[in-house]
Amino acid sequence: MADRQTIDARGAFCPGPLMEMIAALKHVGVGDEIEVLSSDKGSVNDIPEWVAKVGHEMVGTTAHEGFWSVVVRKAK
Amino acid sequence: MGVKPLFVLLCSGEREKLQMAAMMASVAAVSDRPVEMFVSMNAMLAFEKGKSTDDRYYGGAFADALRDKKAPDPVELISQGKMLGEMKVYACSMALDILGWEMDNLIDEIFDAPLGLTRYLSDAENGDLITL
Repeated sequence: MADRQTIDARGAFCPGPLMEMIAALKHVGVGDEIEVLSSDKGSVNDIPEWVAKVGHEMVGTTAHEGFWSVVVRKAK
Repeated sequence: MGVKPLFVLLCSGEREKLQMAAMMASVAAVSDRPVEMFVSMNAMLAFEKGKSTDDRYYGGAFADALRDKKAPDPVELISQGKMLGEMKVYACSMALDILGWEMDNLIDEIFDAPLGLTRYLSDAENGDLITL
């Protein structure tokens, strides 16, 4: 079963959440997931764009009270 | 079709422009787009080794907002871009000469080498050049 690591980037501004997620992705294995908690709406849109561009997989985005959870799976 | 590199020519020392340059460069670099940044004029002063964050940045109303909201530090963003993507950062040779600086006067682990404008502009013919 894939491992999931959560990064709490709430309060950080663009492109902080994206950069933190990318740094974390470098250290996990293919198939593992990174969940980013972000209060920055721009980052919530940017992360799926980056995922599509470089070839990883979006697992999903969930809205919570005051923040979003964005989950990415490392595909390569 | 290959990805066109992004060339960021940074001359302004204003926080707003440093921030945008750092954001563009770091996001492009981590998005598999090679970046070459050329730092000159007032921008070079922001990269002086030993300067505090308060002394490093100045600007207008938005610079105050970036500081108050603790937006990502431009120098740290550039450092992350270099670590996570393909980014080269060059110090303008002419600006170094004007200041009487050597590479050692600049923040460690940011700059790859001094460079002249002729070479930078020649390289930039292969990509998109943005000036801030």
